[in-house]
Amino acid sequence: MKVKVCMGSHCTLLGAMNILDQVEDLKNLISEDDNYNDEELEIDVLKCPGYCKNAKDNISPVVIIDDEVVFNATSQIVMEKIMKKKRK
Amino acid sequence: MKETYVDLVNIRRKVFAEIARIAYNEIDLNELERIPYNIVPGEVAKYRENIFRERAIVEERLRLTLGLNARNLGEFTKVTDGIESINVDEIRFVPPLVNVITFACEACPVRAFLVTDNCRKCLAHPCTNVCPVNAISIGKDRAIIDKEKCIKCGKCKESCPYSAIVEYHRPCAQVCGVNAIENDELGRAKINEEKCVSCGRCITQCPFGAIADKSQIYQLIKALKSKDHMYAIIAPSFVGQFGVLASPAQVFEGIKQLGFKDVVEVSLGADITTLNEAKEFLEKVPNEYPFMGTSCCNSWTMMVQKMFPDQYKYISDSASPMVETAKYIKKKDPDAIITFIGPCISKKLEALREDVKDYVHFVITFEELMGMFVAKDIELSEIVVDEEIQDASNLGRGFAVAGGVAEAVKQTALKLEPTRKIEVESASNLHDCVKLMRIAKAGKKNGYLLEGMACPNGCVAGPGTLASLDRVKKAVNEFKSKSAYTTPLENEKIGDHPIE
Repeated sequence: MKVKVCMGSHCTLLGAMNILDQVEDLKNLISEDDNYNDEELEIDVLKCPGYCKNAKDNISPVVIIDDEVVFNATSQIVMEKIMKKKRK
Repeated sequence: MKETYVDLVNIRRKVFAEIARIAYNEIDLNELERIPYNIVPGEVAKYRENIFRERAIVEERLRLTLGLNARNLGEFTKVTDGIESINVDEIRFVPPLVNVITFACEACPVRAFLVTDNCRKCLAHPCTNVCPVNAISIGKDRAIIDKEKCIKCGKCKESCPYSAIVEYHRPCAQVCGVNAIENDELGRAKINEEKCVSCGRCITQCPFGAIADKSQIYQLIKALKSKDHMYAIIAPSFVGQFGVLASPAQVFEGIKQLGFKDVVEVSLGADITTLNEAKEFLEKVPNEYPFMGTSCCNSWTMMVQKMFPDQYKYISDSASPMVETAKYIKKKDPDAIITFIGPCISKKLEALREDVKDYVHFVITFEELMGMFVAKDIELSEIVVDEEIQDASNLGRGFAVAGGVAEAVKQTALKLEPTRKIEVESASNLHDCVKLMRIAKAGKKNGYLLEGMACPNGCVAGPGTLASLDRVKKAVNEFKSKSAYTTPLENEKIGDHPIE
């Protein structure tokens, strides 16, 4: 499972690093809980993929989980999606 | 800032980006009334009970960010009141720095003990038994504490087997190390200016975002557009603040793209301050001074001046790293206009001092700088730059973390006089700073070098930061190890700098 957090300027301003911190902590949480499959959770950071340049309203922060692009991402939404997919 | 206070922090940062945008694009300040609609769009309140209040609070934040005073809610004052006075390209900053936005304040009770829903009206009810003033009775659903009688000793809380009794603190008052938060006539937070040392912890802590500091970004951007010789000096805690993909060299280049001629690490000034403080310590302690305090944290020195005036003379005479770096630049370019960029809001006051104001002209925080990057659409990670930054030593870069200053001065002093015995002690939050000074006043820290940091864990946890503590600490350690110089004594850049 690949989670990519955008680290462009606008996303950084609106909390991308906090989302990254929490998702990284989640890795520890999952590895300690036998109900979750912790293999292959890859966390990466992205340079600005440019969604914000074409959007009319604010869409930052942006997080991409496998094929799904999450706009206005919050750590709780991102973590919930990860936990759902990871549950054995 | 507390990065987990997501909604609050985002409003704050959007305000910075909007003001920066207005300044760069030369938008008429009379349009200020429209801006809250960009930050709080739509018809439905997102954060508070109604959207009018949300926008009104954003208006106050816009005013404070422009350097204007917060308005008195009881008097009609236009949002643009005073706008001509701040629409200039030089600093127009007038204290108070830290302001309570009174109508954003929820007037949280100061301290109380409360019986929560956890109470199961148990048969044992030890809470009633331990109360020294017989204030607890058992009501229909749960135990009841008589507020008139309660002396807030906490014994009931300790005795409850269900942890049903909680101790309630007003967040801003609890975190204030000098007890400067009082009540106004409506029970709202009010800052006692005599006591306040502008450390900014209340700003970080308030869960309603009711406290804010004034900013200088508008005037700075006007100066960047109209003037030459604009230099930026950036604090040691800057690494890792601007997104994980932005390297220190890219940050420096990005700052230049904002209109600055050059950028210097304040760690260079830290190297100079280290040399000065090491020599001063070796000379004056213990014969002239019983102990010596470091001088780089402005809130620490303000606290000592206000609460321990007789001990204030034992604070080092050395200028802070910010001032030393500015002096270094001024020597090379006497026309230099210098902006300090750091995690700190207290430095905004330090820059007003008589002996500092001709060296440091503007002070902004990392958060405010990020707002400027966003306003100018600068993507730091895309910047192509391959130079390495080598302004300062490993020890100078260590000033960012609590204990770093003391370590630097001690190690340098030992290099100058290897047989001296040097004891150091560090306090890193304002409450502990007060305690340390009290002990020192009582004569229990003679011979010591005392490092005072108002922010817990040091400057890396300052109110103007963007990244979490652990992330920045790691980045600082990495950056330290990349320095070509181990101690300030080896720093070639300051080799010919005269040391007082």
